[in-house]
Amino acid sequence: MAAARTSTTISLPLASRLTTAVFSLMLGVFIIYGVGLSHSETLHDTAHDTRHSYGFPCH
Amino acid sequence: MLVKYLLATIVAGLFAGILLTPAMYVRNVPLILHAEEYENAGGHEHSHDTAAATDAATAESAPQAVAPHVHEDEAGPELPFGRLGNTLLINLVAGAGFALVTGAAALFLGRRITLQNGIYWGLAGFFIFNFAPAFSLAPELPAMPAADLAARQAWWLITVLLTAGGVYLIVLRQEIWTKVMGVVLIVAPHVYGAPEVEDLTSPVPPTLASEFAVSTLATNLFFWVVLGTALGWAIQHYAASELEG
Repeated sequence: MAAARTSTTISLPLASRLTTAVFSLMLGVFIIYGVGLSHSETLHDTAHDTRHSYGFPCH
Repeated sequence: MLVKYLLATIVAGLFAGILLTPAMYVRNVPLILHAEEYENAGGHEHSHDTAAATDAATAESAPQAVAPHVHEDEAGPELPFGRLGNTLLINLVAGAGFALVTGAAALFLGRRITLQNGIYWGLAGFFIFNFAPAFSLAPELPAMPAADLAARQAWWLITVLLTAGGVYLIVLRQEIWTKVMGVVLIVAPHVYGAPEVEDLTSPVPPTLASEFAVSTLATNLFFWVVLGTALGWAIQHYAASELEG
């Protein structure tokens, strides 16, 4: 049981993973904003079917 | 910087994005195309698409002759890879985006996504990004009546954030009061209510809309299950050494 618990947690201290976590989160949020929420006409028209299919508010 | 970890999440996201594309073409895209026939025939136009007005005018006299989609006009501002190409490109990018956010959440929480528990991360993502917002703000087809776009986007975003917080409090915290708080966070945006439109008159038949709502949820469930499992696999295979500390 103890082995099963350690396998789903990360032993690396928070300080060592924080940079990656923040970078990954910001990049991911930026991408999701561009794909799903941005009012840019080019992005809207290119992402049109994905926005509708994904359930993003569109139009 | 945990470079292998980042690359592993991006690879998993691209993989899920590739598979999402054919999944979308089974039901969702045909339903979108079908709805756009009513969109053009009904004289509805995208407020930001000037070419649509001409299309709509033509459509009244000869509905069959009209182009199936206003965005395919030559003047359309979309990227030039064709409808399928654009969708594939966007799905690849979106897959990477959702994968990065999921991978970041796991890093913040000190949890490892594995091949075994990946499906649960995927189900959580589906619940947060698709199921919870869709509960009060059903996935829309083109030409369906809808409230103000900015208001709906704000509601969507707030719902996603509250639901994510709620899932964290319920799943990863042990105290009973945090679990109650989690339920409150998840329910709150639905009690408040999504922005509503006053006039529900729609040129799109309601059957199409209900078919679309169900098919998008099924498609997105598939996407998230693939993404969660792929994340677990990729992180285990490429980034395990980085996470040992």
